[in-house]
Amino acid sequence: MTNLELANVSVRARGKALLQDVSLRVNQGEFVALLGPNGAGKTTLLRAALGLLPATGDVLLDGQPVREMPGRERAAKLAWLPQQSAAAEPLSVLEQVTAARYRFHETHHAAEAGALAALNAAGAAQFAERYVNELSGGEAQRVAVAGMIAQETPLLLLDEPANHLDPAQQIELYRLVARLWREGRGVLCITHDVNMLRFVGDAAVRVVGMAEGRVRFECAYGAPELADHVSGLFNVGIEIVQAGADRLLVPSGRPA
Amino acid sequence: MKTRVLLLCALSAAVIAASPWLGRSLEGDSGRFILENLRIPRVLMAVLVGGTLSLVGACYQTIFANPLAAPSTVGTTAGATLGALVAVVAAPALGISLANGLPMIAALAFIGALLVSLAIAAIASRGKARVNDILLAGIAISLAAGAISTGLQFSADQVQLYAAIQWTLGHLPQVGYRGLVMILPFMAICWGVLLSQTRALQTLLGGEERAHSQGVNVPWLRSLVLGVGALGVGACVAWCGPIAFIGLIVPHMVRMGVGASRRVMLPMSVVLGAGFLAACDTVARLIVPGRELPVGVVTSAIGAPLLVWLVVRQGSGRGTHKSS
Repeated sequence: MTNLELANVSVRARGKALLQDVSLRVNQGEFVALLGPNGAGKTTLLRAALGLLPATGDVLLDGQPVREMPGRERAAKLAWLPQQSAAAEPLSVLEQVTAARYRFHETHHAAEAGALAALNAAGAAQFAERYVNELSGGEAQRVAVAGMIAQETPLLLLDEPANHLDPAQQIELYRLVARLWREGRGVLCITHDVNMLRFVGDAAVRVVGMAEGRVRFECAYGAPELADHVSGLFNVGIEIVQAGADRLLVPSGRPA
Repeated sequence: MKTRVLLLCALSAAVIAASPWLGRSLEGDSGRFILENLRIPRVLMAVLVGGTLSLVGACYQTIFANPLAAPSTVGTTAGATLGALVAVVAAPALGISLANGLPMIAALAFIGALLVSLAIAAIASRGKARVNDILLAGIAISLAAGAISTGLQFSADQVQLYAAIQWTLGHLPQVGYRGLVMILPFMAICWGVLLSQTRALQTLLGGEERAHSQGVNVPWLRSLVLGVGALGVGACVAWCGPIAFIGLIVPHMVRMGVGASRRVMLPMSVVLGAGFLAACDTVARLIVPGRELPVGVVTSAIGAPLLVWLVVRQGSGRGTHKSS
């Protein structure tokens, strides 16, 4: 089983500590939600996990230092969905998802077949012939998820995947990510909205709270103490509202 | 899109095939000599140089994610020009006549291109350098090399100055088949290595960090393209001088014609670049009766307004290719 482990990881940039002594482990088959206010260091953590940033401490993928791994070997284990997907040039959706299979040594025909399968899995096959710069936000995000699926990795890193999407698209996207998790992948997903995790639909989802570059708490999504943790993390009062079978954590507007 | 690719290939092939036959009558033995020993090798040189400059330009635009990246803007051409001018000025001082100094000019042009590209590649291989930093470093090196080149021309005598100006305008020399054989290995390495990186370059279009996450070693790719690009461009500049606009304009034309997919765009840049330079050289041979213009003048005269037109067209939202 593939795993990603960050042990006592710190990242500094221009004299500022972005991550301080962070330890976190994600195993294949686990869903870990990373929660925290802006500037908490969540994106920095994902970038350090990918080997994009120099960090002190250990960032290990299956026990190997991630920055020392050959690119293709790392990309066989870890796929990433950044906050914003660049579409600087007008490639077709199929071409873009095919390019995501760079890690495979295969013919173009095989790469296209893999990309089409990934587009199908993401429910985005109907966009295959369209240009990436002509897609709506929701469509583009679905195509970006297809790119991750095309990489065929056991671990997925997602950076606020539902950012800038309307509520229906957010729900659809979280359900898609939940499906990828249930198929056996490990997921580390940054989110601002803990309530979206109800669409993952499992109380066992692990929630990790971060602020000021440090891990502040770690508990199960279904744990009763989650509301207090979230309240402390965002420094805002939280009310628990029961909506049918769902428990919602709603900011009350009062101080924590 | 297949139709467009075939049309562009046919157009390029037609231009290349027709070029040696255009111009002064080719009747008799002298006509046959001109055709076989002067014009055909010259057109073949245009094919090699045009294809190389366009391919390198298309690759530079990809690795820098910048449509203004080209051998001339990242400093490769300026380095080669400076090296050649050093040779032009130094040759008489060393007792070498300019007529016999071509190997020295070629060698120093190549060394100049290589040194500048290695400097840029060294900056690129430091993972921290951002794309724009590298491009700015290239522009700074170009400006510095240009200033030194101007200083060298200022200190040269009349004969040296004429040779220097003629060389810096860019021309396709009468090198014959021997020259072609000499330049061919450089071009073969350049084309082979760059075209073998098509998948990595296509993946890079999604952004540098995204490409890293998908397995591309971005600093290594950038250094490889710059190093091999220097080899190709250095060889072109050494033989022909700095021929402007090919590496900048042809990739834009190809992108508009057949789309941005590097799988098609890179080989088509070779095809169209070859045809474009062959056409420009034919115009340079024929436009002024009785004498030849340097081909660099023709490529600039066509390339500059074409670039402005392309920029305006893209700015108005009509530059995006739609599949046909």
